[in-house]
Amino acid sequence: MSDIVLLTSIIFTPTIGSIVLLLFHPKSEESMKNWGLFVTAVTFVLTLFLLKDFDSTQAGMQFTSTIPWIPHWGVNYQLGVDGISLPLVLLTSLISMLAMMASWSITKQVKGYLMLFLLLETGMLGVFMALDFFLFYVFWEVMLLPMYFLIGIWGGPRKEYAAIKFFLYTLVGGVLMFIAMLMFYFGSADSSQGILPTFDLLRLAEIGQGLVPGVTFSPTVQSIAFVLLFIGFAIKLPSLPFHTWLPDAHVEAPTPISMILAGVLLKMGGYGILRIAFPLCPYGAQWGAYALVLIGVVSILYGAFAAMAQTDFKRLVAYSSVSHMGYVLVGMAVWTIGADGVTVGRDYWVQGMNAAMFQMLGHGISSAGMFFIVGVIYDRVHHRDLNKFGGLAGLMPLYTGFAAGLFFAGLGLPGLCGFIGEVFVTLSAWNYSKLLAVFVASGVILTAGYILWTIQRVFFGPEYKGPHPEALTQMNGREIAIASVLLFFAVVLGVFPNTMFSLMGASMEQLVSAMDIGYQNAVQTVNDIQTTMLK
Amino acid sequence: MLLADASVSSLGNTLAILLGIACLLPLCGFLIEIFAGYWSDRLSKTPALMAVGCIGGGFACSLLALILWGNATCWTALKADEHGAAHHSVRDDSAETQLALADEELHADEHSSAGADDHHAFHPEVEHHVASEEGHDDHAAEGLVPAHAVFSGTIYRLAKFGNLDITVDYYIDSLTLVMFVMVTFIATCIHIFAIGYMSEELTHEYVDHAVHMSDGHHLHRPGRFYRFFAYMSLFCFSMLGLVYSGSIFLVFVFWELVGICSYLLIGFYVERKSANVAANKAFIMNRVGDFGFLIGLMILWTSFGTFRFAEEIDDHGQAHAGLFHMVRGDKGLMRVSSETGDVVMWGEHEETLLDENDQPRTIPYYLLVIAGLGIFAGCVGKSAQFPLQTWLPDAMEGPTPVSALVHSATMVAAGVYLAGRFFPMFTTDVLLVIAYTGCITLFVAATIAIVATDIKRVLAYSTISQLGYMMLAIGVGGWGAGLFHLITHAFFKSLMFLASGSVIFGCHHEQEMPKMGGLWRKMPITALTMLVGVIAIAGLAIPVTIMGARIAFSGYHSKDAIVATALAFTEANSMHFLLFLTPLVTAGITAFYMFRLWFYTFAGDPRDKHVYDHAHETPKVMTIPLLVLSLFAAGCAIGGEEGVLYRLLSNSEPVGVAAGRMSGAGGISLPSHEAIHLVHAQAGTWALIVAVLGAFLAYVFYGARWVNPTEVGQSFPRLYRFLVEKWQFDALYDAMFVRPVRIIAGWFVVFDRVVLDGFLHAAASSVVHISKWDRRFDESIIDGFVNLMASVTFGIGRSFKKVQTGMLRQYITFIALGVLALFVLMLSFFPN
Amino acid sequence: MEGVDLKLFLLVGAVLFVCGVICMTSKRNGIGVLIGVELVLNAANLNFVAFSRYTPLGLDGQIMALFVIVLAAAEAAVALAIALNFYNNHLTIDVDRADELRG
Repeated sequence: MSDIVLLTSIIFTPTIGSIVLLLFHPKSEESMKNWGLFVTAVTFVLTLFLLKDFDSTQAGMQFTSTIPWIPHWGVNYQLGVDGISLPLVLLTSLISMLAMMASWSITKQVKGYLMLFLLLETGMLGVFMALDFFLFYVFWEVMLLPMYFLIGIWGGPRKEYAAIKFFLYTLVGGVLMFIAMLMFYFGSADSSQGILPTFDLLRLAEIGQGLVPGVTFSPTVQSIAFVLLFIGFAIKLPSLPFHTWLPDAHVEAPTPISMILAGVLLKMGGYGILRIAFPLCPYGAQWGAYALVLIGVVSILYGAFAAMAQTDFKRLVAYSSVSHMGYVLVGMAVWTIGADGVTVGRDYWVQGMNAAMFQMLGHGISSAGMFFIVGVIYDRVHHRDLNKFGGLAGLMPLYTGFAAGLFFAGLGLPGLCGFIGEVFVTLSAWNYSKLLAVFVASGVILTAGYILWTIQRVFFGPEYKGPHPEALTQMNGREIAIASVLLFFAVVLGVFPNTMFSLMGASMEQLVSAMDIGYQNAVQTVNDIQTTMLK
Repeated sequence: MLLADASVSSLGNTLAILLGIACLLPLCGFLIEIFAGYWSDRLSKTPALMAVGCIGGGFACSLLALILWGNATCWTALKADEHGAAHHSVRDDSAETQLALADEELHADEHSSAGADDHHAFHPEVEHHVASEEGHDDHAAEGLVPAHAVFSGTIYRLAKFGNLDITVDYYIDSLTLVMFVMVTFIATCIHIFAIGYMSEELTHEYVDHAVHMSDGHHLHRPGRFYRFFAYMSLFCFSMLGLVYSGSIFLVFVFWELVGICSYLLIGFYVERKSANVAANKAFIMNRVGDFGFLIGLMILWTSFGTFRFAEEIDDHGQAHAGLFHMVRGDKGLMRVSSETGDVVMWGEHEETLLDENDQPRTIPYYLLVIAGLGIFAGCVGKSAQFPLQTWLPDAMEGPTPVSALVHSATMVAAGVYLAGRFFPMFTTDVLLVIAYTGCITLFVAATIAIVATDIKRVLAYSTISQLGYMMLAIGVGGWGAGLFHLITHAFFKSLMFLASGSVIFGCHHEQEMPKMGGLWRKMPITALTMLVGVIAIAGLAIPVTIMGARIAFSGYHSKDAIVATALAFTEANSMHFLLFLTPLVTAGITAFYMFRLWFYTFAGDPRDKHVYDHAHETPKVMTIPLLVLSLFAAGCAIGGEEGVLYRLLSNSEPVGVAAGRMSGAGGISLPSHEAIHLVHAQAGTWALIVAVLGAFLAYVFYGARWVNPTEVGQSFPRLYRFLVEKWQFDALYDAMFVRPVRIIAGWFVVFDRVVLDGFLHAAASSVVHISKWDRRFDESIIDGFVNLMASVTFGIGRSFKKVQTGMLRQYITFIALGVLALFVLMLSFFPN
Repeated sequence: MEGVDLKLFLLVGAVLFVCGVICMTSKRNGIGVLIGVELVLNAANLNFVAFSRYTPLGLDGQIMALFVIVLAAAEAAVALAIALNFYNNHLTIDVDRADELRG
């Protein structure tokens, strides 16, 4: 199978699946769901092929292929994966499959739901594989609409509010990204030298790093573009103060959509920063590093505090996502520049970047798991009030076991996926700022506090205090399958993190080197300008 | 030489595999028990047998490893006194070993000029080192492994970032071996005991009398026998892993794992509110300590770039020094640059470690102190030291075998173990903090133990106090004494907890001592074994010396060593005299409260008829572990510091401890073994006198209380006079000791309850308040802004709505007028 | 015809157009509005034809006028159909009653 066919079929298998769904009779819900599961499973298997052929020693893009799409503007249908996107592609196809399995509880307009779900998967996979900025933007928006409808139609009581909030937030982010995209597009051209503008992310990155003679993005452009891109991606991440869409969206979204939202969509923010904001504006990244770490730290603590005060189970998990994604931001940005303008402790920054990426994967598993756990109990008793649970440990022991495992993964217990990301990020932070590092480390106490308190309120105690006690039945086979797959990956990632680190290591190393060089080049430009002005 | 290397390498591999199996067996046990237990019969005892089998297998492997190690070293550890022996690091890789040994010879007498080569000037912390190299070279020539050899290696890699490498390592020396044997042995005994203790869970309908449902009934639930043993197995795995770890990071990993096992076991009765509150409290207080641990880790990681204790060989065959070597070098020297005050790191071969710019790699002294304090903060949390001690008494909510294994013998001792393991990294300032922390803890806890009436709580406070002793020992430079006490304490405290468990089981879950009394008639084996434990912890001995050693139970020897070290330390640093006085006085208090416990429980007349009538001796499955443990509690330390156990341990003693340590800045100096030895007899006598006094006091107050002075005095005037005098003694003691002690103990209880717990609650509630504000801010300001934007947009749209009337004619009018207006505008602005 | 100026044609066209517009705005009867529309269209036709005659446009204007006539016929047909339908539903052809597009 040639590269382009493989990548294209990964992206568009769900689309084809959703078109085929049109042929089904609207009443045959069971067979439609089976079909949806089959399509997501096929997609997952295809991504495994990608993993099989992937060469982790190679740092650059692999499976690259380019087909002109809108030649007039230089837009190409350009795809490829490297060590940064491959793990996320795998995560996306895995979580989509599990979320599809969790969709059996959906009974309203099943056909429309499944079609939108599959389109959403296309959008997500496309975002992670696109190497053309325009294509990236298109997939970014493609993913937005199905999500809007999935929350707005299949959501809870305040679904319209949540859906519109989600849509507006993401749209604002998209617009800012669009502005930055145009800045880069027009900045990449120089008509006097016959250099044509481009949307090619790899070439834009080279220009941003000052490797292309004759054309470059000035430090000012880089700083402005970085702020625009960062806000765009921070909304998705989400980090303070752009996070308030997340609790509402999660609370209203149906369980499988929450799984996707937490497991995959949030990762797009981090991925966007790594793929676009950082390599295209290394100067801007260094310029904004302190702000990024600070926002990350505040997100960690703020999210944890906010989670502690919640009484809605899902809202609590949503705020814990804010807290956990703060680590991603901290890890990415611990880029220390010494007084002489040279990177200090480069390896610690590499560690931070890798750990941030790992945290995204780990959070993808654990938060999807946590939302699933909430969904299981919500399907039974139809409420999420933390103070009206209790005693579930005695009534649903197996469920409690899975829940404890997945919540402990969120808590950052060693041997589970959350630990590696959090601790490695924390360890890398001291090199950047001692004060902020101490705050990052203090997150461990707060996280333990709110997760243990939640476990205590929901699972412990003598008896269940809420409505519908008769509905508390054991997990069925499908639910056990989902939870055990998630727990399995949580354990594997926690015990053998090198499976992921070795995949992403070379690409991260290259990204760090490129940014380092890019920053030095940009500083050189600034110095040159200053000397000319002095003369 | 080659023969030696080959044997070293293969021995290292064998030990690593054996201990690895010992460590992983309980993990396999856990997986099988938790899954198979869930889907199989609740009445089956198989999970328990499997858990016992796993941990027993672990014990066999550990013992085998110890014997193999002993044979390979020809038991030189036990023959000659090798205190202060220089410390070789021996890798699995034989080529590397050769290099290290050869290098050792080359540099054996060059160390004094090590600093001179460099352009920095250094203050050596040690001025005199014991250089007894010839003995080891002899061993090497005979093809023997040196007894102080360290076997380290890497199992697999977690991650590698540039030059930073995070791996799963092991580190095996005699301390590791002794800890493995001790943990697996005690755990085996406790597992067997638990088969009896937890047998009530072997049912489909367990009635939990501590839980009241809303309908007024007690809770009925299926038994959870299998789950208890699964958790215990998981705990054993974590604990053994902690000891096996070869890097501080891996220690942290297992540190958290034992924490979560402790959480699960304290909260075993999940339906009991008190149990799950205690579990949360334990885990969160531990996390407070771990916060410090994490800061320490960050500093070490950023300054040293490695977590390993021992050296490692990278992918290119290049050796990199481990943490201990970087700070201390081969001779236990810490070099402080006189210019900058920074600590200069040692390289692999006794040279200064250089960074990429060929400058010496240094770490600021204050950072090393903070790192040490941070790691110690973790130990404070785990070992329930002041001021984080309050979780441990609450942790007694767990089943008694858990208290015996987790909350006395092993996990809580992990803090002491780490302080010992990490000893080379601690500067004297940190050691002083450790010493004072231990000192405060041991006194506070002991005083509280006097007023406690719950049998398990007395033991819990005594555990805290004994851990304080160990910390104190390590802080005053008594590395061997601290870890010696760790091992002996593990034996006698697990014994006493099991005995108390036997009492509780025999009395149908009655834990209050005032309701007991006279139980020795009903449960003689329990009473006898408990007495062994009490004598051991109290440190009683017969003041007769046979073959150079006193006849005494284990606790005497180890506590003696601690008090002697403290005395030697005080003699060297007279301003810190409290560090000797407090443990000495507390030795008496310990004897007092432990005998009080025994008298209260077993002696005298029954105080509660109901409890007494239903009490019974426990089955053999519980008494046999008691007997076995009591044998070890009595005899494990036989010979004292000339005995097997101490000799084994002292082979792992960090270099330079034996010689003592002088602080470069002229602050604290740690006593050498010689200095300790000089005061040993004196300190021992003091400690013994105090302990006997304590025990005697206990007898006076609690053992002999059956005498009713008034009544007996009226009948027998002469005896009455005698008793009056005694009564005056009582009053005197009461006024002079008991009451003040009780008041102070009460204060400490109040302090614990009001100040520390109060602070905790205040902190907790303020956190809740902050989060409420946080939520309000989120919902009003940030959300408010977003909603405002939306409503403004909406309002503008609404105002335009009025134009849209739907009247056809009006539209046409607008069009006509519009066109007209456009023409007018056009003509007025562009007349031509 | 030679003496007649283009301006006169345009004047007539303008008068017709204004009449049509006034008719459209003032009539409440639907048919009246349609008549107004016809007037406007024919005013435009007049202009087309006039311009085609007096400028070098050639036949373009006249062809356009033919188009408009055809279009007007079609429009009238559709509009009358709408009027009938509206009458059927509302029993009137008062355009002021047809305000269902109100915002």
